[in-house]
Amino acid sequence: MSARTLRIVLIVLTTLGLAWASYLTYVHYSGEAPLCSLKGDPCEAVQTSVYSNLAGVPVALIGAIGYLLILGSLLVSDGETGRFATAALTLGGFGFSVYLTYREVFTLHKICEDCVASAVIMTILACLSVWRFLRGDPMVTGAGAALGEQGGGVESAATIGSA
Amino acid sequence: MLCVSSIEGDEGDLTRKQRREQARAERKAMEEAAVASAMRRTRLAQLGIAVGIVVVAIVVVLIATSGKSKSGIPKTAHEKNATVAEISSLIGGIPQSGNTLGSPTAPVTLEYFGDLECPICREFTLHALPSIIPQWVRSGKLRIEYHSMETATREPEVFKTQQVAALAAGKQNKAWNFIETFYHEQGEEDSGYVTEKYIQGIASQVPGLNLSEWSSDRNSSEYANDVTTDGQTANNEGFTGTPSFLIGHSGGAMSKLNYTSSPAEPAFVNEAVEKLLKS
Repeated sequence: MSARTLRIVLIVLTTLGLAWASYLTYVHYSGEAPLCSLKGDPCEAVQTSVYSNLAGVPVALIGAIGYLLILGSLLVSDGETGRFATAALTLGGFGFSVYLTYREVFTLHKICEDCVASAVIMTILACLSVWRFLRGDPMVTGAGAALGEQGGGVESAATIGSA
Repeated sequence: MLCVSSIEGDEGDLTRKQRREQARAERKAMEEAAVASAMRRTRLAQLGIAVGIVVVAIVVVLIATSGKSKSGIPKTAHEKNATVAEISSLIGGIPQSGNTLGSPTAPVTLEYFGDLECPICREFTLHALPSIIPQWVRSGKLRIEYHSMETATREPEVFKTQQVAALAAGKQNKAWNFIETFYHEQGEEDSGYVTEKYIQGIASQVPGLNLSEWSSDRNSSEYANDVTTDGQTANNEGFTGTPSFLIGHSGGAMSKLNYTSSPAEPAFVNEAVEKLLKS
């Protein structure tokens, strides 16, 4: 997979995750039943449990902010720093997803499909962004880089690293 | 001979040049490999630091949030006395009848569907009710009926046993003391803490409850039927979790009452009661 394709995939997945987390934040504040609750009560039970907030902040909102930061790191820079920021943020998101899934499975004994969907997206994002960072592909530079267009030149990762 | 020597000299020069280029290429390749290796090590170290920070953060969050589900079961007699005193201060002197707390002539009725093992019901009972009861119930404007809906309790038999135990205390107009004590001393969800000893312990903390009468009343099929009927009502209303609520003018039609952010905030009840009292 080319560096350009990989970046586009990451941007698409992050946007999907952001939309999903924003929906869950809306559900939290509106008091409406989440979509997955149509199949039973576990989702609503999970999303209204004491673990649906962390220090008074809804976990769905924390997720939305996390996705927003990841999207920012993907759009702002394709350099070494940007790739590390994306990898670090997605690792943080993955860790948070592990914590929430642990609470669902071992504390609440209920599985919320909406939360699992977000955890799956975050896991894929973490794997891809760590792979992207470790590969150290040549950086695509130029005005269209953020949109995945091949820009004015290619700079080797080694050169970037030694700069 | 000269010609041959010249050719040999050219070949010797070419070989030296080739060797030099080859050596330069090898040196360059080694340098590039060394740079790439150093970069890889740097990247792995950076990721290692990031993973370390994430792991520490998860551990901190786990420790910080583990208190949320910790058992409320008191460990000392002093803690038990404090709970009894707190409950007496909240509901003491307020009329009780069966599963109802409040004046029989109160104009507004709130039906509270709960599971005694449900931690969110505990949030509502411990945080919202201490504001709702003094403002509306003690003043005779609201009465609260407790109904059963199984959610958090895993075993249907355990659910029925604990809910019936509360309703049986209602025969002596002490159901709300039992319910409040249960929620105050609620254990960790799914830990299997609700045993006969635990239920007896809750009952023993209800001031003035005749334990032998209560034990006898627990066998009445009336209360088991009430629990079943409550479950059917909750199902018909489409409730998907606890706590769930119905509210309306006493004796009139009841409407669903949803909480917006958290059942621990009493505002959703306050607003509904105010609206009904004005209408």
